Amino acid sequence: MILNKISIAEIKERMVKYPRRKSVILPALTVAYRQVGHLSDQIYREISDIIEVPYIEVAEAASFYTMFPKEPVGKYLIQVCHNISCALLGADSLVGYLEEKLGIKKGETTPDNLFTLISVECLGSCASAPMMQINDKYYENLTREKVDRILEELRRQG
Amino acid sequence: MEKRILFKYIDDPNQIHIDTYIAHGGYKAWEKTLKTMQPAQVIDEVKKSGLRGRGGAGFPAGMKWNFVPKDSPKPRYLICNADESEPGTCKDRVLMEQDPHGVVEGMAIAAYAIGSHLAFCYVRGEFVKPAALMEQAVKEAYDKKMLGKNIFGTGYDLNMVVHTGGGAYICGEETALLNSLEGERGMSRIRPPFPAVEGLYACPTVVNNVETLAAVPHIINNGGEWYASMGTEKSKGTKIFSLSGHVKKPGNYEVEMGTPLSYLISELGGGPLDGHKIKAIIPGGSSTPFLLPSQIDAPLDYESIAAAGSMLGSGAVIVMDERTCMVWVIERLIHFYRHESCGKCTPCREGTGWLEQLISRIERGEGKPGDLEKIDSICDNILGRTICPLGDAAVMPIQSALKLFRDEFQYHIDHKKCLVKSEFEFK
Amino acid sequence: MADTVATVTLTINGREVTVPKGTTVLEAAKSVGIEIPTFCWHPKLKPVGACRICYVEIEKMPKLQVSCATEAMPGMVVNTESEKVKEGRKAVLEFILINHPLDCPTCDKGGECDLQDNTFAHGIDDSRFDFNKYRFIRERKSTFDDYRIGPEIVRNQNRCILCFKCVRANKEIFGEYDLGVFQGGNISEIDTAPGEKVDSIYSGNLVEICPVGALTNTDWRYKIRVWKTQQVKSVCSYCADGCNLTLWKERDKVYRVTSRRNDVIDEGWICDVGRYGYQLASVEGRLTTPLIKKGDKQVAATWEEAIGLIARKFREIKDKKGGVCIGGLISPQQDCEALLAFSKFFRTQLHSNNIDFRTEYKMLPEKESPYYSRLTSASFRIADIENSDTILVVGTNLIKEHPIVHLRVRKAVNQKGAKLYTLNPFTTKSGDLSRDEIVHVPGTLEAFLNGLCIGLAEKADGEGNVRAAELKARLEPNTTAKAAEICGISEARLNDLAEALRSAKKISIIVGELVSGSPAREAIAAAIHNLTVVLNLNERGQAAILSRAANSKGAERLGVMPSLSKELQQKLKSMWGGFPETEGRATDRMIHAAKKEELDALLIIGANPVASFPDGQFVREGLDKLDFTVVADLYETETTEKADVVLPLSSWVEQSGHFINLEGTMQRFEAAIKPVGNSRPGRQIIEDIAREFKGGLFADAHEIAREMQELLNVEPRPSFPDAVAEVKFAEEKIEKDYPYPLFVVDEMHHFGHLTERSRSLAAFAAEAQVEISPSLAEKLQIENGSLVRLESETGKLVLPAKISEMLDNDVILISRNFSGTAANMLQMRKKRIDRVRLIRVDEK
Ligand SMILES: Cc1cc2nc3c(=O)[nH]c(=O)nc-3n(C[C@H](O)[C@H](O)[C@H](O)COP(=O)(O)O)c2cc1C
Ligand code: SF4
Ligand code: FES
Repeated sequence: MILNKISIAEIKERMVKYPRRKSVILPALTVAYRQVGHLSDQIYREISDIIEVPYIEVAEAASFYTMFPKEPVGKYLIQVCHNISCALLGADSLVGYLEEKLGIKKGETTPDNLFTLISVECLGSCASAPMMQINDKYYENLTREKVDRILEELRRQG
Repeated sequence: MEKRILFKYIDDPNQIHIDTYIAHGGYKAWEKTLKTMQPAQVIDEVKKSGLRGRGGAGFPAGMKWNFVPKDSPKPRYLICNADESEPGTCKDRVLMEQDPHGVVEGMAIAAYAIGSHLAFCYVRGEFVKPAALMEQAVKEAYDKKMLGKNIFGTGYDLNMVVHTGGGAYICGEETALLNSLEGERGMSRIRPPFPAVEGLYACPTVVNNVETLAAVPHIINNGGEWYASMGTEKSKGTKIFSLSGHVKKPGNYEVEMGTPLSYLISELGGGPLDGHKIKAIIPGGSSTPFLLPSQIDAPLDYESIAAAGSMLGSGAVIVMDERTCMVWVIERLIHFYRHESCGKCTPCREGTGWLEQLISRIERGEGKPGDLEKIDSICDNILGRTICPLGDAAVMPIQSALKLFRDEFQYHIDHKKCLVKSEFEFK
Repeated sequence: MADTVATVTLTINGREVTVPKGTTVLEAAKSVGIEIPTFCWHPKLKPVGACRICYVEIEKMPKLQVSCATEAMPGMVVNTESEKVKEGRKAVLEFILINHPLDCPTCDKGGECDLQDNTFAHGIDDSRFDFNKYRFIRERKSTFDDYRIGPEIVRNQNRCILCFKCVRANKEIFGEYDLGVFQGGNISEIDTAPGEKVDSIYSGNLVEICPVGALTNTDWRYKIRVWKTQQVKSVCSYCADGCNLTLWKERDKVYRVTSRRNDVIDEGWICDVGRYGYQLASVEGRLTTPLIKKGDKQVAATWEEAIGLIARKFREIKDKKGGVCIGGLISPQQDCEALLAFSKFFRTQLHSNNIDFRTEYKMLPEKESPYYSRLTSASFRIADIENSDTILVVGTNLIKEHPIVHLRVRKAVNQKGAKLYTLNPFTTKSGDLSRDEIVHVPGTLEAFLNGLCIGLAEKADGEGNVRAAELKARLEPNTTAKAAEICGISEARLNDLAEALRSAKKISIIVGELVSGSPAREAIAAAIHNLTVVLNLNERGQAAILSRAANSKGAERLGVMPSLSKELQQKLKSMWGGFPETEGRATDRMIHAAKKEELDALLIIGANPVASFPDGQFVREGLDKLDFTVVADLYETETTEKADVVLPLSSWVEQSGHFINLEGTMQRFEAAIKPVGNSRPGRQIIEDIAREFKGGLFADAHEIAREMQELLNVEPRPSFPDAVAEVKFAEEKIEKDYPYPLFVVDEMHHFGHLTERSRSLAAFAAEAQVEISPSLAEKLQIENGSLVRLESETGKLVLPAKISEMLDNDVILISRNFSGTAANMLQMRKKRIDRVRLIRVDEK
């Protein structure tokens, strides 16, 4: 089993809230993603067993939703918004700056498995551009200085 | 002038707690509704207010609620659409983060109005904090017996579930949202049947935007007429505008409907960045056609913006100054729409892919003569031909850009480079 | 007053069209012969409006509308051919084609591809798309992207136009979850779940339904171009559902089988056994010439020699000991013509009633009880299942035994909201659909059914059912509690089911092989009969024991049994001018008689009792004692091995004839190819023997047809008698030494003893396995594929284990379809439930 007791309990807790079991697929994927950091076939199987929906339905849904990485990523998943509002305020150069600071290209993970850098579509933070999301947290109105501080802090936390 | 109704307590960090919310007059409307009003009266009041959906289409909320069949034996569902993913739009997040109880209360009243005992708030997956705050607000409301069984001793039961998505813009489209909430892939459904008749689990369902619902308690407290006294003849009340792009003070501003766009940009937003001139404005989120600086005095209401050739949409105003290459902008947007197409219907799935290829080759300086005409024609073949409006959303900005800035596109093709090169540095 | 169907009148292309309310514009147009192109629409699936090719223009609607998902409304004015519509279609075709490979010259779908046809009719010959086409690459086997998603299915995603019909049908109609849509947008992909394969019994339909060459099957791929083939109307020769088929042939080879939609039976779906079973006709190793035993060798002979010998031997026996010392076994997969000839030969020339088609069941009574035969001959309509609000499925793994009936049950449940209850000794797929899947202790079914009757009789008595009091009296002093205890089901569940049946408006009770094959069939039938009486089913539903094979019903109706109803006997007597007075023997009694040397010869056509009769030892011993055995079959079998004369039999694709399906509907099938080698159809073989023996059986083809028709006119007991049957309560004793009940059944992708020869069907399952539940596997520490030894009182067998998710109790299922596995050696003729023990054998 990949999913731990807490995750399973959380999924089961969700199950009672919905009129149909299948509705729990997305919440369950979210729970799994929070625990593991990415999704996998094995996880779909486990979810399918817990909520009793066909395995393929879990897999199909998971593949549709792009927010969940399907392969392992670094401890910190940096997602830079590259959509229009952020782009107008330098999202591309923010990506460039992060590439430089992390020594990796967009789409890659640092050798220490700490950071993965990707760019994503609008994150709904357009009035605080440019911005990025690292794991669950939004970092907004970014400047070079802020980025430096954030990376430093995360590196320190390891 | 800002007119803060939904935003009244937006700067109070304690507003997220139920006690503060109640101290500020919160849940009075809910109590009044349950204790003194019939569902039909609630609908009437909302109809009277003239409140129109803030999710993009501007459909009158009261009318939508009225579509729910009164005699259906099936359960009904209310869904708060908090998928907020239209580029430029970031207002619903603020409401959920700063005043979640306002959303909960609005959902509760709307649920009652349509006879629903189970309401969902579908929050986009990336909104971890807003979802958590909504969860917390719902929990507090249960603890205070504002939700659950026999609310206020009236015998009315209402449960509320905060559901999170998985990062798909299309799930903001109401039928795709329904599929997603059912655990399916978030693909749109053909209409009819409309959700009000056959929505979630094939039961009558109303889907409303966060902001639409957040306005409801105020309407109940102060009356529909009060709400209707604000705004313009057909666009009533206040609206939150997300202002982003090349302005000094981007942010979310609540103003009366009909407030001039120029006021939002220049007064509230502090005007263009120093030394720069506005080149184009998207008034209602990335899927709406561009306005030119000459149209900056257009009043911000559904009719006026439509008259100006665009749409008020979700109220996301994106300002671009003269350094912005329109081909570059369009490439960003078509990339987005191609990426977000659910893949169900042919014109959207194939058309957005083809458009992206054409536009990025123009942007790369590899455009060919005839490409613009081809784009025109592909857009025509998508517009109005798809299951859901994502197809329209994808082509409207392109058609608009080709109309207003055709020269710039032509320049790219002829000279194999930008007329203005967008290289925006961040600070 | 009868229901009047509300109608709608609209105008399409200037013509007024009236259709029932709820009809789509597309179907309204179709109804008057106006064709609108479609891709994603399918008559049996919910419309999704995805492909957008079916645009029409409707007055007052500014946008083009998809006709497949637009309901016809009164007064609508529709144009299906306006300039705007044509443009819209062209645009859709252009979009679809931008990434479509255009590998038509090497695509199997060429010539019958909806995309090709629609482009031909409505498209343009030039594309404005000047980029490289998007490519999905998974497993490059040819210039294209061939990727196997199931034993028989190859997927080429590049050709897929994302109509989603395959996935929709798979889930909506078949209830199978082995194919799905992955990713999204323009990289959406049709695929299996990671690590799975598409191998359900309905898998071939997915290929058939694909409008393009995205899904093809290995059966047909690269073998022939479709326009070179001719189509022949046929009917499936396997189970009794009677699906209509089209055989696609060229010269003397059949290339594939597809469905031939018949809405009252199959609705256009067929199972893979029907689809691929034809292959066994032209596999290497067919018997092509008669063989005569010389010493202990069977050597090739001419038909004249063989027939001559048979006639001579039969005459000798008849003259010396009487025709009753000759018996006949014939497969219920033979056509009506053969069955009738068989009966006529035995009865008019040998004067023997020793004939039977039930070669796979033990303890058959010579004479069926009226209750049993009423249930087997009751009128039953597949299409009526969907009009029932309550369905009870008893004693059958329905999806296996009657895959198409199963689909109708699914439809009733999923689309019409019917309540399904299943009652079986093990869990089956139908259980997934049911309100309650009741699994009783094997061997206690009649106790459960009687238990149902107890509660119902009580209530019905109060409600004025005339027979209820009588039934109540018979059932006393038993109680529902006692019944529930015997069969290991809680009384509450039993009562719930009783209540569901009592309050139902329309009921279908579907009974299968676990009853007809059970030695307790008569007692169970009596209990079911009582249930129909107490439910007053004559007036509100149907109940039937379904016949098993393609022509079992034909065999019953035409009298291929030792003992017949009075009416049938009467009819035959008058038709043939006589009927043997002697008592006939059923299969096991014939073999018993052979063992005791009371029977000297057997004529066996298309059957393989040595491998299929549920007591292998008994049949072997019996056949060894026979003086003279004649066996006709397609291939050498365990039974032909024992024959003095072996005759090469033609398969059903090599002849025309009639089958009578489980509903009693007689359907004609046509020959597609000539008999393989020197083989002959069953009916011809019988005629040949008869002619040589005494004289022709029928003057001409008309006479056969007339006799068949006359027999079919004999009413097969139209309704249920309201008499109450005697009540028996069985209680099954568990034997410690052999703890697990054994069921020898057909493997999902096989039927009878020949389908293992079909290459495609062998691709699904090529050898026998021991199916056990995951819990039993865990208890005995058995893994998928590990070898296990089964031991019964009479035999031992070592086979690989297959852990079946479908099962969840401690029973054991073995397939009876493989010649290498003598599963019947574990069975005993006198046991109601066969039992075994199971031991894990550690690999060498
Ligand atoms: C592609 C697409 C995306 C949409 N995204 C959102 C969204 O994120 N939030 C939202 O409230 N409405 C969104 N909508 C509009 C909804 O479909 C729906 O009209 C709305 O939620 C109704 O609420 P309202 O009447 O309160 O505006 C979207 C529509 C489309 C076509
Ligand atoms: S594989 Fe065939 S049936 Fe399935 S979606 Fe693609 S085109 Fe349609
Ligand atoms: S057939 Fe109507 S949309 Fe496909």
